[in-house]
Amino acid sequence: MRNGFGISMNKSEETISISNNNGENLLVLLEEEQRKSGYLSQEFITALAQSLDTPVSEIYGVISFYSFLSNKLQGRNIIRICKNLPCFLKNSELIIKCITQELGIKPGQTTPDGRFTLVLTNCIGACDKAPAMMINNDIYGDLTPQKITKILESYK
Amino acid sequence: MADITVTINGNQITGHAGITILELAKENSIDIPTLCYCPDLPPMGACRLCVVEVAGSKALVGSCHTPISQGMVIQTHSPKVMATRKIIIELLLASHSGFCTVCDKSNICELRKLAMDMDIGLSRFQSKKRYFPIEDISPYITRDLSKCVLCRRCLQICNEVAKKRVFGIGYRGFNSKVIVDLDQPIDKEVCRDCGLCITSCPTGALSNPAQIGEEKKGTPLVIRG
Amino acid sequence: MPEKHIVLRNCGVINPEDLTSYTARGGFQALKKALSIGPEQIIKEIKESGLRGRGGAGFPCGLKWEFTRNTKEQSKYLICNADEGEVGTFKDHFILENDPFSLIEGIAIASYAIGVKKSYIYLRGEYHNLSGRLQNAINQAKENKFLTHVNIEIREGAGAYVCGEESALMDSIEGKRGEARFKPPFPTDKGLWQKPTVINNVETLMNIPQIILNGAAWFNQIGTERSKGTKVFSVSGDVACPGVYELILGSSLKELLINISQSDNIKVVQIGGATGRLVPGTAIDTPLSFESVLGAGSITVFNETRNIMDIVYHTMEFLAEESCGKCTPCREGTEVMKLIIDKFRCGNGTQHDMQLLTELSSAMSLASLCGLGQAAPNVITDSMQYFRDVYESLIPANLRGVKA
Repeated sequence: MRNGFGISMNKSEETISISNNNGENLLVLLEEEQRKSGYLSQEFITALAQSLDTPVSEIYGVISFYSFLSNKLQGRNIIRICKNLPCFLKNSELIIKCITQELGIKPGQTTPDGRFTLVLTNCIGACDKAPAMMINNDIYGDLTPQKITKILESYK
Repeated sequence: MADITVTINGNQITGHAGITILELAKENSIDIPTLCYCPDLPPMGACRLCVVEVAGSKALVGSCHTPISQGMVIQTHSPKVMATRKIIIELLLASHSGFCTVCDKSNICELRKLAMDMDIGLSRFQSKKRYFPIEDISPYITRDLSKCVLCRRCLQICNEVAKKRVFGIGYRGFNSKVIVDLDQPIDKEVCRDCGLCITSCPTGALSNPAQIGEEKKGTPLVIRG
Repeated sequence: MPEKHIVLRNCGVINPEDLTSYTARGGFQALKKALSIGPEQIIKEIKESGLRGRGGAGFPCGLKWEFTRNTKEQSKYLICNADEGEVGTFKDHFILENDPFSLIEGIAIASYAIGVKKSYIYLRGEYHNLSGRLQNAINQAKENKFLTHVNIEIREGAGAYVCGEESALMDSIEGKRGEARFKPPFPTDKGLWQKPTVINNVETLMNIPQIILNGAAWFNQIGTERSKGTKVFSVSGDVACPGVYELILGSSLKELLINISQSDNIKVVQIGGATGRLVPGTAIDTPLSFESVLGAGSITVFNETRNIMDIVYHTMEFLAEESCGKCTPCREGTEVMKLIIDKFRCGNGTQHDMQLLTELSSAMSLASLCGLGQAAPNVITDSMQYFRDVYESLIPANLRGVKA
């Protein structure tokens, strides 16, 4: 049985602890860590694999399947711009161009100061407010180039 | 154990309750092509090559995972089924960067054999080719994922029979890939020399490390079409 | 008037953070009634009401409940599918934002009827901001002793469209990659952790309290012969008033698009998102019902200035990206289709390509493992049916009429 144990390990003097595992919760554990640390470090994946008695390949398989999980260090704020049809109709390409110019990075990249990561995503359920984007968990709709600068400024 | 009678290709055939259409067909020497199916292991239903037509069902059903039921009327080689199977093989060939002439397993390659049986020469489809570097750092196994058809038999054998759980599936969609650890090349740390995955691999994706002077296995296949 | 609010009756009226404003509108009366009439009677009512699943497939809801209730297994589950990933759909977002209590009541009634002690709400990762409000609604219902018979847990997705497919959704709750499973066994036999499971869309469960309160006969007289009740539509694209509208089933596309959301010059409408159907502007009188077209209720409107190939290409690009990759036809087929459409988009198509698209579409819809792969070619077949001239105009002149 795998339930009810917690493990701890030292990683540069901070402790990662994993507890309350039923095996079933792999995705939940990964989501929690992703929210907390912004990414899933190799140390975390290895420790999780040991504690759950699951191969690393299986955990990495889950991480690489879901677009919200990442094993690479990401920016403090993640911008997800919707690229699907309803937003495309409302000129989302202009918004993408505008943000790439503003930040000086392409989709998939992170700004050198680690402030923003820019990704293109599929429908975020704000089609009535197209073009729309998400920064972290907040949704911004009816975007115009004028609005972008102001929105980006509010994220440090 | 109750017996069940079904009709396959117009003939009444009886089998035990609980077995699949594919198992019943095999018992009665009806040849249904498969790729991801491993005898005696749980079915995966991934390759879709074994689809058959069942009366009353709009879509074709996978014979490897569908149990027989009383009165089922099955067509294993109807024109609809054959056309569909042919397209599946053509799709696999389209993304397969197959350099068959220099492949060690080309004479025993199941993908080539299936293509040959269905009279497929070159695929009519154009797709992205999968190219990956050859992984030959392990003394026991050489892996060339360019030749992988994602049938997952290696995964199944390694998990269920060898119990090593070396492989996993990573990424999604067209980018899906059989991975080891954090998508690293396979080396001797993770895998010993049981060789089950090599025997189970239908193509040249997994093979024994090449020996100097070794000849190709099997007799050359003749491809028509 | 085709508009009628059953599902949306509380939206914008109650305070979604406060249970007392919900009970003031008759909230949890249905649960009280349900507990008094007993599970058999509830299932009978739902069956007689003719309520069909609102996620797109349209399976009779009462039947699903009955199958699961009648299994011998002791542990079974109810999952509320709030993984609204279909392109152009935002109705569940609107519902959860404005009336989380009706959903909780619907789940409470369903759980009691089926005999479930544990229910999950699978919320898509993109809607993380709503999970607080939803959890608050659960907590308040619990404090008021409405959830003594069932434990409701919210599980969040992490950005994968295919997890809205029921079998992939169950794998995702189990913590795995969200890959489709083959059927049979059906979820009602072997679902989550191989136990009998009912999976209902948010909108389906929203209907439950009203059916219990007003009776099956009341619900049954709304809609058409085989499509009972109302449907919530998400309208987006080239319309003056995009938004969420609830209409009686069987209402025509014209009523929704011309009279309510005020669009004109319609070239084509995509109903049901990426895996849905295309309806040309000339067929504006098409009724919206299970007999005709419906999907999950997303309506994206394209006016005369839009390019058909852009629509098809973007849809295929989306599907290729979101395919789980397990079965061959979907994994390889979506990619091939995307590449062929790209050829047409650049004006480099051939007659041969059109033939290939037809054959590939048929193979994919016949052989794919789950609904995503089976419905992926819809946009291709529909566009080739209604806009064949567009395809043909994109074949270079010297290649026209040449058979491969």
